Amino acid sequence: MFGQILIHLLFGGSLACLTSYILALKGYKQYIPIARNIYRVLAGGMLLTFCLLMATVISHSFEYTYVWSYSSKELPPWYLVASGYAGQEGSFMLWTLWVCLIGVVLLPYLKKRSWEAEVMVFYSLILVFLFLLLVVKNPFSFVWETFAKDGIPIGFAPPNGRGLNPLLHNIWITIHPPILFTGFAAMSVPFAFAMGAMIKREYQSWIEIALPWTLYGTAILGFGIMLGGFWAYETLGWGGFWGWDPVENSSLIPWLVSVGLVHTMLVQRKTGGLVKTNIILAVTAFILVLYSTFLTRSGVLGDTSVHSFVDPGKFAFILLIAFMITFAILGYGFVMYRRKDIGNKQDNFSPKSREFTLAIGSAFILGSAIIVFIGTSWPLIAEIVGLPKIAIDPSFYNKMHLPLAIMIMFVNALSLLIRWKATSYSGVLKKSLYPLTLTVAATATSYWIGVHDLKYLLLAFGAWFSLFINAELALKIIRNKFSSAGAYISHVGVAMLMIGIVFTARYSIVDHVQLVQGVTTKALGYNFTFIGREQIEKEYKDREKFKFHIIVEKDGNVNNVAPILYWHDFNKRQSAYKEPGIAWAVAKDVYISPNSIQTIGGAPEITLSKGQTITLPNDSSIRMTFVTFDMSNMRNGGGADGTIRPGAVITVDTKGIKKTDTLYSTISMATMEGTSEPYTINGTSQNISFLKINANKESLQQSEAVFSFTDSSKPIAPLKEVIGVEISIKPFINFVWFGVIAMVGGFFVAIIKYRKKAKRTKTMIPVSPTQIEVQV
Amino acid sequence: MKPRYIIGIIVIIAGLGFAAYSLNSSKIEYTNLSSAEATGRKVQVKGVWVKEKGADYNNTSNIFSFTMKDDSQKEVKVLFQGARPNNFEIAESIVVKGRFEGGEFHASEVLTKCPSKYEGNVDQLKQSGS
Repeated sequence: MFGQILIHLLFGGSLACLTSYILALKGYKQYIPIARNIYRVLAGGMLLTFCLLMATVISHSFEYTYVWSYSSKELPPWYLVASGYAGQEGSFMLWTLWVCLIGVVLLPYLKKRSWEAEVMVFYSLILVFLFLLLVVKNPFSFVWETFAKDGIPIGFAPPNGRGLNPLLHNIWITIHPPILFTGFAAMSVPFAFAMGAMIKREYQSWIEIALPWTLYGTAILGFGIMLGGFWAYETLGWGGFWGWDPVENSSLIPWLVSVGLVHTMLVQRKTGGLVKTNIILAVTAFILVLYSTFLTRSGVLGDTSVHSFVDPGKFAFILLIAFMITFAILGYGFVMYRRKDIGNKQDNFSPKSREFTLAIGSAFILGSAIIVFIGTSWPLIAEIVGLPKIAIDPSFYNKMHLPLAIMIMFVNALSLLIRWKATSYSGVLKKSLYPLTLTVAATATSYWIGVHDLKYLLLAFGAWFSLFINAELALKIIRNKFSSAGAYISHVGVAMLMIGIVFTARYSIVDHVQLVQGVTTKALGYNFTFIGREQIEKEYKDREKFKFHIIVEKDGNVNNVAPILYWHDFNKRQSAYKEPGIAWAVAKDVYISPNSIQTIGGAPEITLSKGQTITLPNDSSIRMTFVTFDMSNMRNGGGADGTIRPGAVITVDTKGIKKTDTLYSTISMATMEGTSEPYTINGTSQNISFLKINANKESLQQSEAVFSFTDSSKPIAPLKEVIGVEISIKPFINFVWFGVIAMVGGFFVAIIKYRKKAKRTKTMIPVSPTQIEVQV
Repeated sequence: MKPRYIIGIIVIIAGLGFAAYSLNSSKIEYTNLSSAEATGRKVQVKGVWVKEKGADYNNTSNIFSFTMKDDSQKEVKVLFQGARPNNFEIAESIVVKGRFEGGEFHASEVLTKCPSKYEGNVDQLKQSGS
């Protein structure tokens, strides 16, 4: 109740904040401190509301629909925290919280630079929409409100919740969403800056102050996306880190645009060009964040994506569309309105200049964004215009990106080698001689390893070239001035990422093998020995989870890998959930996905229906027929000790001599497990035991009997487990993770650099020739 | 018009043309089993698992097989190269991607629509904790 009231108050507060900033812009400057205070209260209130949600989750208040839907008493603390934002409503809460908190840092930053009202008016407009979403999809609804039509009595509190899907039970569910949402939230800032710049009609100075924020948003969003990929690889066992799934794509698109934006902002910062481009890109990146939200939350991807959210209801659906369209109209409309004002300076960059390569590089990155956008949106467009419903095969993205990636790698290599304004080709050639030699060697090695496809070889060449050039430059610069090394580190990261992608995507090898306990099996050049299982997480009663220890050996190099299989109440333990095991190594991972587990050995067991005849598994000269059940011992409904004693009538045919007899089994009513008395066939060493009944509830006539067979003259084969696994060798997969980490790290180094510069230029707003031209 | 604009426009048109071409060649239609069988093309079909007919994973061939029924009640045996997908038994519906070969559906992907993606219904609420 309190939570619902709070959310409504916050929505009202955001409207008041917006109104105050509008008034301030209209010239009533006295409203600025009011707006600022409202904002602070809003942020505090949002933090309080979020804590309240966490408290309801942690205290297991299942009378709240949200808490009931996504958590349960069995959840360990970390997943309990995660369930606070794992659902639709909770994730909107988290997003809004981050927008609020980022604003708390943004506010004094803007105040100091006198950009407050112009930027905050849009920032608070974003909050208005977010709070409205929370009003509609609020996590504080009670179950009797959600299910009002179904006659759930007021005050009903379910004893337990539905729990969290076990696939989400790993540490990444706690880490990945908060980081991804920080990225989403941070993308509001460049948007608000670009809009503010149009209000202020200062199309140059916003670049300097918005740059650190754009870098921050891009870095965090990129990191969040990568963590999702790592999660898929490390725990979910999807085998790869990227599947071109629409939901994955939807967060990649705004990221690509913001990467492009970072580069064009750098160009404008140096040259004053690409003014319109920057405003449009900043607006676009944010609208794409909203588009991503729409795609993942509206349920439109329900049938095409592995991980889209549930249909949120009609009103929320319309609200999500309205959110996106409002900001698109506002953003692009404003750009149209100001188009003459912004000016159209001719950006005639020399092809030998860094600004030229950066602009081209951005264009390629945007090309990639367009491809992903088209591929992701096409099924929707097709459905809207009435074409048959389709999905896009991931091969589309791979095919389209191959030429683009090759070009991006070359630009990635050259852009930092070439200076601003102009460079001579001979200088570039001289500087790249040493890296070029290494590149040729690395490419030759790649060919030798197995990259024979010309296109991929070219891509590998570009990636190695890019890696060596940037690594060389980065090393030089780190020694001189660390804070300037950001770009170089990021470019090294991108090159590493690409090398990782080329090798893992194209040159992974896969085999499927059965590993018998204690027996060494050779596959893909490695020796695999399955030792046995070990139960883990025994403290949780809702699951049975086992590590299956496998020794992986090659050339004396030994690794213990433990894929996991577990049975969970979530699917009533009908089948096992799987987690891969990985032997990590710098050059290549050995990736083991468990597929099945079975037991061999022991006495053979055979299930027979009435009238069925078989030959004995240990002696084919003897035939046996299961005639019928003998329930005469069961008429009294079972013994006093809680057991029943059914019999099975069988006929044994030993070389023409037939004999009919009855076998008994003592079955515990509690467990339905039986103990049997073995029956020895006269004159042979063959024993038969009647183990249990496979009861058929519909027709007792069709119930089956299970028998086991032993031979007293031979030892029983020992029980052994066999695990069926898919093994793959993934070369250079770790380049993917290291690459992204370097890339993100580079962004943070750059933030330090440009943050300092943004401070310094506080009073020195450059008046560029552009502005003078257009304003006369 | 400057030459660089002309070059730019040509590049963009060529790029979009290539995109449209490969988009068209990599689209996978949503359809039902009858038309999937008739065309033999790679398609996606939504349906449900016919529980009575069971599901089996063969660990030597690494093939998971089950019988699926589409919206028009047509049934088919689905063969999928790989392990039993997570949450297969509790999926409310299944989407298979692949093509018909010899009267069987060879799936390259089996998506399970897990109920955790759906909000709880009132029956689940009443049964909670029991």
